[in-house]
Amino acid sequence: MSQVAVAPPVQLSSKTTEYLASSSRYRDVDKILDRRGPWTDEQFQGGQAAKDFLRQQCKILVIGAGGLGCEILQNLALTGFHNIHVIDMDTIDISNLNRQFLFRETDVGGSKANVAAAFVMQRVPGVKVTPYFGKIQDHPASFYGSFDIIIAGLDSIPARRWINATLVEIAEQDENVTPLIDGGTEGFRGQARVILPAVSSCYECSIDTIAPPTAYPICTIANTPRLPEHCIEWASVLEWPKVFKDKKLDTDDPDHIEWLYQRASTRANEFKIEGVTWALTQGVVKNIIPAIASTNAIIAASCCNEAFKLATLAAPSLDNYMMYSGNESLYAYTFEYEKRADCPVCGGESIEVQAEKDWTLETLLEKLEDRQDLQIKRPSLAYESGAPLFFQAPPQLHEATKPNLAKKLSELFSEDASVVITDPNLPFQVTVSIKLV
Amino acid sequence: MTHRTPPASPSNHRPVKMARMSDGMDLTDATTGMEAIPSYRPDAKARRYDRQLRLWASAGQRSLEAARVLLIGCDATGCQALKNLVLPGIAHFTILSPRSVEAQDVATNFFLHPDTIGRNIAEEAVKLLKELNPAVEGSAVVKDPAQLLQSDPDFFSAYTLIIASNVEPQLEMDLAEILWKASEKVGGPDVPLICIRNSGFIGRIEVQLREHCVSDTHPEQTHTLRVDQPFPELEKAARSLDFDSMDSMEHSHIPWVVILARAVSIWREQHGGQLPNSDDDAERAAFKDMIKSWRHKADEENFDEALRSSYQGFTKSELFEDEAVVTVSENSKNLHILLHALKQYTSQAPHLPPISPTLPDMHSSTTSYVALQNLYRAQFNSDFARFKQIVAETLGRIGLPADAIPADEIESFARNSGGVQVIKGRALKESKEMRGLVAEVYTNVDEQFVDEEKPIHLGLHLALLAAERFHLVTGRWPGSPEADDLAEENRQVEEMALSLLQSVVPGAEGGPETSEAIAEVVRGGFSTLPTTAAFLGGIVAQEAIKLVTNQYMPLDNTVIIDLVKSSMEKYKF
Repeated sequence: MSQVAVAPPVQLSSKTTEYLASSSRYRDVDKILDRRGPWTDEQFQGGQAAKDFLRQQCKILVIGAGGLGCEILQNLALTGFHNIHVIDMDTIDISNLNRQFLFRETDVGGSKANVAAAFVMQRVPGVKVTPYFGKIQDHPASFYGSFDIIIAGLDSIPARRWINATLVEIAEQDENVTPLIDGGTEGFRGQARVILPAVSSCYECSIDTIAPPTAYPICTIANTPRLPEHCIEWASVLEWPKVFKDKKLDTDDPDHIEWLYQRASTRANEFKIEGVTWALTQGVVKNIIPAIASTNAIIAASCCNEAFKLATLAAPSLDNYMMYSGNESLYAYTFEYEKRADCPVCGGESIEVQAEKDWTLETLLEKLEDRQDLQIKRPSLAYESGAPLFFQAPPQLHEATKPNLAKKLSELFSEDASVVITDPNLPFQVTVSIKLV
Repeated sequence: MTHRTPPASPSNHRPVKMARMSDGMDLTDATTGMEAIPSYRPDAKARRYDRQLRLWASAGQRSLEAARVLLIGCDATGCQALKNLVLPGIAHFTILSPRSVEAQDVATNFFLHPDTIGRNIAEEAVKLLKELNPAVEGSAVVKDPAQLLQSDPDFFSAYTLIIASNVEPQLEMDLAEILWKASEKVGGPDVPLICIRNSGFIGRIEVQLREHCVSDTHPEQTHTLRVDQPFPELEKAARSLDFDSMDSMEHSHIPWVVILARAVSIWREQHGGQLPNSDDDAERAAFKDMIKSWRHKADEENFDEALRSSYQGFTKSELFEDEAVVTVSENSKNLHILLHALKQYTSQAPHLPPISPTLPDMHSSTTSYVALQNLYRAQFNSDFARFKQIVAETLGRIGLPADAIPADEIESFARNSGGVQVIKGRALKESKEMRGLVAEVYTNVDEQFVDEEKPIHLGLHLALLAAERFHLVTGRWPGSPEADDLAEENRQVEEMALSLLQSVVPGAEGGPETSEAIAEVVRGGFSTLPTTAAFLGGIVAQEAIKLVTNQYMPLDNTVIIDLVKSSMEKYKF
């Protein structure tokens, strides 16, 4: 994590100086800010107060400087947001250039946050964009609490869960509600939503609607492959660890992909399966999601439109979810996603799990891993008191608690009990209540 | 497509240009005992476009790279649309405008810099848009569009697609009419026109095209297996299954397609050639019972799949129907010739397009699955041979060489021919006259307005139409003056809206929804919110890509967008 101090852009030309001084340049946006519409909120003051907040006071954070992030930065700068911050841990790859329009070929390898910030400041004189090249988890909660609005254009679910949980915690503890606007796209579809932490439904409330990545049964991969994907999975899941032991597969290394592609092709030839290609191999092992500029434009525009409304009250903000699809003609659906009472982040109630007394702890663990509303991968379990039930790490605790996996629940619990789950996917602990039946 | 094994040594088994791409040690070369397989590692271009090729594939990309797009109205919305087309790699774009850059243009348009104030807007925007993709050509034409339309109408029909962003209503209508007339002739240019209008939070996109063919709609369910009328080889394979001689492993791995084809074949034999009646619960149950009776165990996944898909056994595959392409000439587009050939193809029994050669995944052993796939592929090859023959004859008849349509274009059309869709568009003039749909809704106000959303979007449409009328009369947009009396502007627009409405529905009232819609549109004063511009620019680009690639169903023909409520509604006016 490092905040790079970006030197103020070069000297401004006299034309630009004159432009920045002219009050008429915001003529278009000002029409909306100087006039009340038929659906405008009563609290809307309009005029100078709204303009001052938007153009001088409002501090806004953009999480992600990728496909959505580039669009978001452009829109915010043009709309009049002046104090913009952007954070991204990624560097620029050539496959970004079909949509991440603030980057050029010569920028490949550079920090997305740094390059994007510099570009926007050069193109839109007068705007201040502060970049952070690093992980969102490296900043304390107080950092996030210092913004008026946060927009997330992330492709990572764990990162979204983290920022969501962080903002809900800030809202609950400090009564400081920082609106989170979240966008996401896939192909011709996408969604934008407005989350008022602890007030409206949060990201975690809808976690069960996220489809898990396609998983192929191991027995199909090992014994009855039919699709090219089955051969690719065989190469990456079964063959790679067998051949390379401890060497980790790096899906960004083209030589690693090449090896998988060769192995998968050989297997496909054996079984007379057609269709293994380099691109498919890469797509399967990296779980690549198709992405285009136009969809990012639509979703980012919606996110920034909501930020503009929140900052100025020029129109009521989205309550609270909009889906867009351009796959078949075009279609948008706007609705209120409801709060989940047993949401582990913002709900008051705990998740209930019905378990049979005869289950082993391992069975319970598997059932928990299968739950769509938890989306966990390698859970560790503890009694409500904190005493360990089963820990994945560190090694000593893992060894000490491993024997519990074979024990029946009736041996471990005398009655209904609460269990605390921690997991690398979870930025928080979840307490579930086990009902023995 | 099979991978041939070249006899080459491992060191030169890869094409030269690929070898240059590899950086660092090659794991393949370090691994002994492996069969040499050509790499086809993606080149720089394939890597740049990787995330979009996964949507529209190389066929779509080829079409995109041949597309020439014209933008009239060099505003923020139009430039945003162009940005989203330059990035994926169209061949060329032209911006047509004689105007100079003003401060307000710079403030809303990301592709203008304050230093360029006073210079020609088309030239400046072209410069900054071209930076987005070195493979794309861009040019500025510094002329007045209205005059050019008079002096050189052919200029416009040389483009693949035209975007008119917030141009004056009169120019928009004249342009639409010229394009519509040009497309009247068989084989004449049929250039789709996308018109944009935005005011504050409100936007509208209209598409004019005479006819459009979608060769791949990318449906959720991609495979038309035609189990309701199995082709002879499939039927033979299905009837020759000997359940009793199979062990449990084999029996539980018969692909469901074969099971269902067998059920259909036997049912037809017993019912005078008829399929089960899908409206008859008893027949549907009897059909399923037949399948169930073949089970050896209750937990056979393949039979579960067959039962889940049993509706495909009583849903008749549809005939291909289209009157669009009765005649073709040497000027016809490739797609029209292919559609014409398809129509001839389906005039013969079984009156269905060539079968799709691909199968979805299903519970099966590898050998049974591959065998079934080979059956479908063989059938496709035979269907395709007949189709190719008809295409060749058609080309000969209209005086074109046999290779006038590339072989791979004919094949990819044939592979997707089960899902081909043809759209008949309407002239912009006609859709703006608001007969049909609008008349219907406003005539039955009480019943239709129960659905809360509709009147708002229709009201916004009416408000935009009235504002265009206002512009035709006054030469300016309502809500545009700096020091204004908005109430008076609203009143005038409302009067025009009412007279428009009453010209199609005598005695109709606009209602409060229409007044609100007008107030919001006039509030915007036809100014550009950068977010609205980006939103519309994204949609316009999506639609342009769909039209250019002939993939995915495009909008036909109007969408009204309300970014106050973040909602939209589409209509075929």
